[in-house]
Amino acid sequence: MLVGAALRVARAGLRVTGCRAVLLPARFEGSSTTETQPTVRPKDEVTQKHLCAFGEYVAEILPKYVHQVQVTCFNELEILIHPDGIIPVLTFLRDHTTAQFKSLVDLTAVDVPTRQNRFEIVYNLLSLRFNSRIRVKTYTDELTPIDSLVPVHKAANWYEREVWDMFGVFFANHPDMRRILTDYGFEGHPFRKDFPLSGYVEVRYDDEVKRVVAEPIELAQEFRKFDLNSPWETFPAYRSAPETLKIEAGEKKEDAK
Amino acid sequence: MLRLPAVRRALAGVSQSTKGCVRTTTTAASNLIEIFVDGQPVLVEPGTTVLQACEKVGMQIPRFCYHDRLSVAGNCRMCLVEIEKAPKPVAACAMPVMKGWNILTNSEKSRKAREGVMEFLLANHPLDCPICDQGGECDLQDQSMMFGSDRSRFMEGKRAVEDKNIGPLVKTIMTRCIQCTRCIRFASEIAGVDDLGTTGRGNEMQVGTYIEKMFMSELSGNIIDICPVGALTSKPYAFTSRPWETRKTESVDVLDAVGSNIVVSTRTGEVMRILPRLHEDINEEWIADKTRFAYDGLKRQRLIEPMVRNEEGLFVYASWEDALTHVAGVLQGVQGNDVGAIAGGLVDAEALVALKDMMNRLDSDTLCTEEVFPTAGAVTDLRSNYLLNTKIAGVEEADVLLLIGTNPRFEEPLFNTRIRKSWLHNELQVSLVGSEVDLTYTYDHLGDSPQILQDIATGKHPFSKILNEAKKPMVVVGSAALQRGDGAAIHAAVSTIAHNARTKSGVGADWKVMNILHRFASQVAALDLGYKPGVEAIRKNPPKVLYLLGADAGCITRQDLPKNCFIIYQGHHGDLGAPMADIILPGAAYTEKPATYVNTEGRSQQTRVAVSPPGMAREDWRIIRAISELAGVTLPYETLDQVRSRLEEVSPNLVRYDDVEEANYFSQANELFKLVKQQLLADPLVSPQLTIKDYYMTDPISRASQKMAKCVKAVTEGAKAIEEPTFC
Amino acid sequence: MAASGVGKVVGTTVKPIFSRDLSEAKRRVRELYRAWYREVPHTVQSFQLDITVKQGRDKVREIFMKNTHVTDPRVIDMLVIKGKMELQETIHVWKQRTHIMRFFNETETPRPKDFLSKFYAGHDP
Repeated sequence: MLVGAALRVARAGLRVTGCRAVLLPARFEGSSTTETQPTVRPKDEVTQKHLCAFGEYVAEILPKYVHQVQVTCFNELEILIHPDGIIPVLTFLRDHTTAQFKSLVDLTAVDVPTRQNRFEIVYNLLSLRFNSRIRVKTYTDELTPIDSLVPVHKAANWYEREVWDMFGVFFANHPDMRRILTDYGFEGHPFRKDFPLSGYVEVRYDDEVKRVVAEPIELAQEFRKFDLNSPWETFPAYRSAPETLKIEAGEKKEDAK
Repeated sequence: MLRLPAVRRALAGVSQSTKGCVRTTTTAASNLIEIFVDGQPVLVEPGTTVLQACEKVGMQIPRFCYHDRLSVAGNCRMCLVEIEKAPKPVAACAMPVMKGWNILTNSEKSRKAREGVMEFLLANHPLDCPICDQGGECDLQDQSMMFGSDRSRFMEGKRAVEDKNIGPLVKTIMTRCIQCTRCIRFASEIAGVDDLGTTGRGNEMQVGTYIEKMFMSELSGNIIDICPVGALTSKPYAFTSRPWETRKTESVDVLDAVGSNIVVSTRTGEVMRILPRLHEDINEEWIADKTRFAYDGLKRQRLIEPMVRNEEGLFVYASWEDALTHVAGVLQGVQGNDVGAIAGGLVDAEALVALKDMMNRLDSDTLCTEEVFPTAGAVTDLRSNYLLNTKIAGVEEADVLLLIGTNPRFEEPLFNTRIRKSWLHNELQVSLVGSEVDLTYTYDHLGDSPQILQDIATGKHPFSKILNEAKKPMVVVGSAALQRGDGAAIHAAVSTIAHNARTKSGVGADWKVMNILHRFASQVAALDLGYKPGVEAIRKNPPKVLYLLGADAGCITRQDLPKNCFIIYQGHHGDLGAPMADIILPGAAYTEKPATYVNTEGRSQQTRVAVSPPGMAREDWRIIRAISELAGVTLPYETLDQVRSRLEEVSPNLVRYDDVEEANYFSQANELFKLVKQQLLADPLVSPQLTIKDYYMTDPISRASQKMAKCVKAVTEGAKAIEEPTFC
Repeated sequence: MAASGVGKVVGTTVKPIFSRDLSEAKRRVRELYRAWYREVPHTVQSFQLDITVKQGRDKVREIFMKNTHVTDPRVIDMLVIKGKMELQETIHVWKQRTHIMRFFNETETPRPKDFLSKFYAGHDP
């Protein structure tokens, strides 16, 4: 059973890598019927062209702020901008007749500690008018404040508080910059990569002082080691490399200088 | 069986030569032939197989029956690859390359061939992966993921095979067997026990022992590792954990003196199993059964809390503070030779140096090891006198080997494996002085009288001629032979034999002839640190306070000591040493401490912490360090690094990990031996471990192990005597 | 560190959080300290803490003094922001007693320092 299930997983994995035609020829039937892949989004040339054109258009209009435009996973348009351009670019995207990205679906951050500007701030926008989505990305470090998006999108309020709480990115001109998820008195930003999985303190109820107390965490030997090797990764030579992003995100930093 | 002996030999030779440690068939560069692997050119020696050529460019061909260290069988067909312009795919493991071949490892034909083979293999393989112990580390599972088809069209019934009982260590589920015959080849080639074989043919083919009997080998556990499927699994490990749940700690074995490299798998603070780790110069990729299976002894009979003997003579638990204060008080009251120490066979170098420093600070130099070694003529001052100088891998180069008073098969199974390997592939000529035992290879038994040594030394014996004509002679004397009353004389005789062989056979200066084969992991480090071997000094001059550091061989008893002698025992098992003590300090076993051990070659290696010591047990050197502080003779180190730098001060080779310091001064040593005025006794040389039942329980850990006790029972009374819980 | 990372597009100077120089940052710290100092009696009263106002003010001072080594105005600003946040949580009694008393670490046992006490305490001193 396990073998069978494993095979299926393996097969799916191969498909994602896009090498299906090479790795798995049609065997039993001997015919070359292409199977449909319900779990993998099909590549749609038209959409892709469409998005590319729109991305180029945005880059042309706002050359001061836009570093780069890219289309990932066939139909996801990404605009990489300078942090100073958050308000103008998102205002443009909201108000421009052919954009109409009026809905801020999501705002989040990504921590990549190796980069000089370690935080990537990601804005996901939706245009109901054109049934289209766009992703705007910018960057910052621990100490550089980012302009708050609240004047443009009210929805950004709590998202920005969350990013502040989890990553410690400060949003300037935010109306209500305080914690949203962590406990009062909590120290540190849990989504940073250098924040330990176990945290710094452990809490317990102390019967003597009749309240909950927090103490520095002490870990037994067993939980200090993390073995990240997967026992499943055999035969690396036959594995095709994972799909790489067309543009390494690090490059945009170079442009920024 | 599907074996082709002639081809096998030839190919085995080739496979060895590419590894480079044996048989350096010096091929001129012009002889190399050029072939292509997926279009990538590579130069290989003629006779290289397709599989090896692919390996050379980093392309691993899937395989089941092929194994680097075994002969080529070529019966699983998984390694089929397409050769450009060849009509059929070829079995890569058995086909030597021809000039200009282009091997297509991932062509459609190759993939199709693999898929077909996989389908056939899976036709008779049960789908019991969820309850199979091999799950997660199964070659069949991995390769079917990578190369198999994702659907089945097999509608027929599957074959079922009866399981065999081949002993208390290896569990067989023969329905899962894919007849790769790796276990058969291992048994006959490496272990030298021709017990396994195949019966029947076609669909009826079965691997087994034909008549029901135990697979009686000290290396039997290795067939679990080489089995590509779950047909052979570990009985003690059955249904306990999955490989992805365990943490692996790379460590070193201390249950014998070769110091096999091991991986300790642990889960939730418990040792789940022990696996071998590759080390070409020591254990290759095998380990002995004691190393592999004695770990359950680490959970039993452990000392977990300090104990003090009260007025009624009973042990009561005490806190560390009380116990150490008590010990310190006792030590403060004595000076000089009123205090002595004995170190056992499993003690690490850190604890040894800490104990030595503390004793020296108390003005005492009565530091002994349990293991006896002759000291006459100041022989322990020269390292060459107590090391396996040619090294374990050196056996592969030797052409004549003289074993004296030893049974390497059970004293150091992996050294014996090397001898067998050399005997098999290099025509090594082995002779033995000592008890006649089964060594898994043929040898010339010269007798068991020590007088023979004298004859060889003086050149009267015919064997001395063989030795003198040898190109690379080797003399190996077991440590047990040196522990007799005439140990020094034997040592001297051996030294003379070696010296004569060295000078007369005209080998290079870098070839060492004389070798000592130790049996205990701590011995070389103890001698390096200046411990006196043997407890004679203590017996002659009984101290008022005796410190036993893991001394469990029982070579000194209460009767040897004055009535008021205060005995401190520090160790990890309640074995022979602990009951006679007045105070017991629980220490850590080798899986629980980062520690240095020196093997019989003089190679220092370190163990690492896999689990924390049970209960209140502590690392050994820390206990000694704590006592020293309380006794007012504080040792100048607080961390492991500081202890190691102290070790470096005393003997730098102890911290040069995995490096063998060459020992020299053989002729000077031989001169020193001339000072030895001891007569050889007439008693025959008997090695302490004659048959396999003497092998399993030799130290506190294996004596505490239930599994090892079962093995002893099984080899004496037959495998049926062991009652196994019936699961599955 | 961050100086080189931020934009050629707009300017080359480091973007301040609030304070343009150290004196301004110091002023903000003093303001915050003053606010905390004034708040302590109310805190003690409203949370019904078992400490004196003196003790509370000493603790405030201690926590401020812990960061005396910081000289980067941006880091100071960040700390001030977090301090203000804590103050706000205290003033509005969003915190509970346990949160306030966490500053005092009274249940913590000190870590053993010398070899012997480490030895008695555990396996891995």
